[in-house]
Amino acid sequence: MSNAMRTPAGAINVERYQGAVAEGRFRRLWNANAPGYLFLLPWLIGFFGLTLGPALISLYLSFTDFDMLQSPRWVGAANYVRIATADPKFSAAMHVTLTYVVFSVPFKLTFALLVAMALNRGLRGLPIYRAIFYLPSLLGGSVAIAVLWRQLFASDGLVNAALSHFGIEGPSWISHPSYSIYTLVALSVWQFGSPMIIFLAGLRQIPQDMYEAASLDGASKFRQFYKITLPLLTPVIFFNAVVQTIEAFKAFTPAFIISGGTGGPINSTLFYTLYLYQEAFGNFRMGYASALAWILVVIIAIFTAFSFLSSRYWVHYDD
Amino acid sequence: MTLRVSRRNFVAGGATLLSLSALGTSALAEETRLRLLWWGSQPRADRTNKVSELYKTKNAGTAITGEFLGWADYWPRLATQVAGRNAPDIIQMDYRYIVEYARRGALAPLESYMPSKLQLDDFDPAQIEGGKVDGHLYGVSLGANSAATVLNTVAFKEAGIDMPTQKTTWEEFGKIGAEMTKAGKRKGYFGFADGSGVEPALENYLRQRGKALYTADSKIAFGPEEATEWFDMWAKFREAGACVTPDIQALYKDTIDTSPLTVGKAACDYAHSNQFVGYQAMVKDKLALTNYMRITPDSKGGHYRKPSMFFSVSAQSKVMDQAVDYVNFFVKNPDAAVILDVERGIPESKAMRDVVATKLDETGKVPLAYVAGLGDLAGPLPPPPPTGAGEGTLILRNIAEQVAFGQISPSDGGKQLVDGITQVLARG
Repeated sequence: MSNAMRTPAGAINVERYQGAVAEGRFRRLWNANAPGYLFLLPWLIGFFGLTLGPALISLYLSFTDFDMLQSPRWVGAANYVRIATADPKFSAAMHVTLTYVVFSVPFKLTFALLVAMALNRGLRGLPIYRAIFYLPSLLGGSVAIAVLWRQLFASDGLVNAALSHFGIEGPSWISHPSYSIYTLVALSVWQFGSPMIIFLAGLRQIPQDMYEAASLDGASKFRQFYKITLPLLTPVIFFNAVVQTIEAFKAFTPAFIISGGTGGPINSTLFYTLYLYQEAFGNFRMGYASALAWILVVIIAIFTAFSFLSSRYWVHYDD
Repeated sequence: MTLRVSRRNFVAGGATLLSLSALGTSALAEETRLRLLWWGSQPRADRTNKVSELYKTKNAGTAITGEFLGWADYWPRLATQVAGRNAPDIIQMDYRYIVEYARRGALAPLESYMPSKLQLDDFDPAQIEGGKVDGHLYGVSLGANSAATVLNTVAFKEAGIDMPTQKTTWEEFGKIGAEMTKAGKRKGYFGFADGSGVEPALENYLRQRGKALYTADSKIAFGPEEATEWFDMWAKFREAGACVTPDIQALYKDTIDTSPLTVGKAACDYAHSNQFVGYQAMVKDKLALTNYMRITPDSKGGHYRKPSMFFSVSAQSKVMDQAVDYVNFFVKNPDAAVILDVERGIPESKAMRDVVATKLDETGKVPLAYVAGLGDLAGPLPPPPPTGAGEGTLILRNIAEQVAFGQISPSDGGKQLVDGITQVLARG
């Protein structure tokens, strides 16, 4: 029993008190909270019907051989065994995705922080700049932007047209296996808006008098950044890093559009989710794709857990 | 917790259900609802919807809902609908997927409707055969076409080079391509697209050698030697500058608008004859069609008349008779034939072919003449591709790219291609 109930133990008969509570507890709780549950109902339906339910079904399907046309057939751990031992495309997809995470997250966060600091200087028309810089993030997942990116980085695209003014003949960025993943990293960095907005809010929380005191003591701008801004911003950096890492693992649309769904050339843009999609809907292997999805869940969980464990060494909360 | 229903509740509920179902039947009695799903572009949708309108005017009380998507989005949608027991009554089916869907029980066998409701008597027997899986008819072909090389006639004229003909060999084609590139009349223009990863091109090459992509019992029908020779040939073309560079070719996404020919990078590309109308609509220069090249001057039989698309009826359909009737109307009604033209390929019914032939415009006549004039280049229809063949296409493209970008040698490519396809087929 909870502590709250034990506290009056010295004063009244515990047994009788608890009996009375148990009788009326449910009714009273319900009366008090019914409106709350009622308002929550749409979310609850969505959560159980559209998130938790399908997730559990996919967990079941991951142990079956399901081609979407016939009933699923139980195969035990065969899908997981195959992923672990006999699927070169799994490792290719994992490699592409990890490359993407490792490059896009730090660059994106750095870029977002720099822009946030520039905007934090109290420019005139700040809301407009904020909106403009945030725009790519809003459009980011959209098909139109991925198509635009394709145009920019094609061999006769704008980027190469600009390079040719300097006498540089650029490659076809998006269709050369050595560069294609980095154009997608660039696309992701460009969509720095949402971490930037969060950084901006974080920067606003840092008391100005700290900077004043530091500059009176003769600390350089760089030192102020290093000794005040960064440490005080670590909770926000931590939050952004976790969220962006998860987002990066889940990236799908840009690769799907830019490679036309193939993950090419030569699997260089075969993102994990794209491979999962190919297996599920292209090759009718819903069971195998479900297993891939659960592996991804585990990988993201490990990364997130690692971030939280490491955070105690570098994230400083006000105390 | 158990669910308890009192007798009174049960009776009341039952009465409600009864009245609801009465509503349902009365609504159904008024209207038969047919659902139709196909892939393609807006012009195809316009033609299809017109035929549906026509069908409705002749069959009062029929409502038809048509839906269409692009090729890449089509298959996921169809698979999901079938899995959700929500399949459309009439499904546009491809030769590549018909085995997959038929064997998994998603399509209704149609032979029992012949000849009462489904009159395919003036169809070429070989084309009816193409819609069969394990002896049952699962699809009615909407038109025939064949793989073809699309040529930009203006680019050839500008460069003063003769276009390839029915007799041209791959070797000569390589020379023509290199000359075209060298002529340099257009900026960054090459002789032809890189066909090393194009499955119909490889298939044609194999067939001329008496091999094939797949056997009738779902095995790979060629070996590493043939595949190596294929990649070798393309490596030489690339070296001679006859075909586009790999990074240009990698932008091609199996759609007309991304073809190196359409985007102004090459004078020739590989396609299917029914796509000619689409190519010509997107390219200003006048285009022409010719066959795939010959290995030697006397090799033949690489091509075949492929049923380009089928109409299949869902095994889950509740209005199967009506669906079959619609399919029959689609392929046998003269007014429908005029509306449909050769956009889905050359009509299979001889009577409809005659109707359409008189109404065709210049562009429409090209594929008709091409398919009719294949001569000794045409061989028998290969068996439908087995389960997993869709993945085989991706493997070919992937390995062709690895060879083109110089990551592996043609002989490694040949070996890996055969290994890869063998594994996929074994997995099913």
